[in-house]
Amino acid sequence: MIDIIFNIGLIHYLFLSLFLFMTGLIGVLISRNMLRAVMSLFIMTISVVLNFVAFGYYCDGTMEKVNMLSIFILILAVIQTVIALVILYKIYQANEYLDTEKIKDKEN
Amino acid sequence: MVLNIIYFYILFFAICSSALGVILAPRMYMAVLSLFLLVCFTSLMYFSLNAIYLSVFQFILCGLILSAYIFLLLKKIGRINLGLKLAPASKIIMSSVFIILLATLSIMYFYQEFDNSLYAFFNTSVENSFDSVNFKNYLYPLSLIGIFVFVSATVLRAFLDSTLNKQPQKNEDKE
Repeated sequence: MIDIIFNIGLIHYLFLSLFLFMTGLIGVLISRNMLRAVMSLFIMTISVVLNFVAFGYYCDGTMEKVNMLSIFILILAVIQTVIALVILYKIYQANEYLDTEKIKDKEN
Repeated sequence: MVLNIIYFYILFFAICSSALGVILAPRMYMAVLSLFLLVCFTSLMYFSLNAIYLSVFQFILCGLILSAYIFLLLKKIGRINLGLKLAPASKIIMSSVFIILLATLSIMYFYQEFDNSLYAFFNTSVENSFDSVNFKNYLYPLSLIGIFVFVSATVLRAFLDSTLNKQPQKNEDKE
């Protein structure tokens, strides 16, 4: 048990990545504000990138490919977040709030 | 060696706490601040894993630009000090149990299927990993992504504008 704690390896980074992914998923499910749901989605993407970098470091060794591909993932994640924010802004302009429950009530 | 272990665990707990801060913050500005801290701490972790370019890139793009963008957007709509509410307790408990179950099942699946080792799963990707990579090779697909994003954003904006302009007309018709 002590050996696992003090020998930092791939499994530690995978555990951190899993925790981040789960946190993001729980955030998407439990938050009523849509902006916070978008931020939770971004946390999930960060966990994917962390997973990718950890595998690159421990399995590949040369970090060039990992750098390139992770930068691509990150650019896509940021673009996705920005587009989601623009959509949320339009929803806010139409409804004056971003609360999912209120929007559901309004639709009903 | 000891310093590396301490450094890892400090970053580990900082990342976990800032991620929890995003989903549990009572105010909106606290959630944005937690997201900024999360980006900074993960950048430091990438730095410790020799992904230096990625770490700098993430700090600039996500930490400085994206966080500032969210902050300015909140300021524009006047919701920076908005109190955030969570879903009902039953929904929180159910979703947490469901996700923990999902994580446990996926870990067990990997553990049994891939010979008790995650390395076995990625063996195929390690074989041809010694060729050199230039950033120039990736500029062409990057530009394609940029064009696709621009086109999709334009179409989306036009679509949203048309639907949002139609809604008030419908309401007026009803009246």
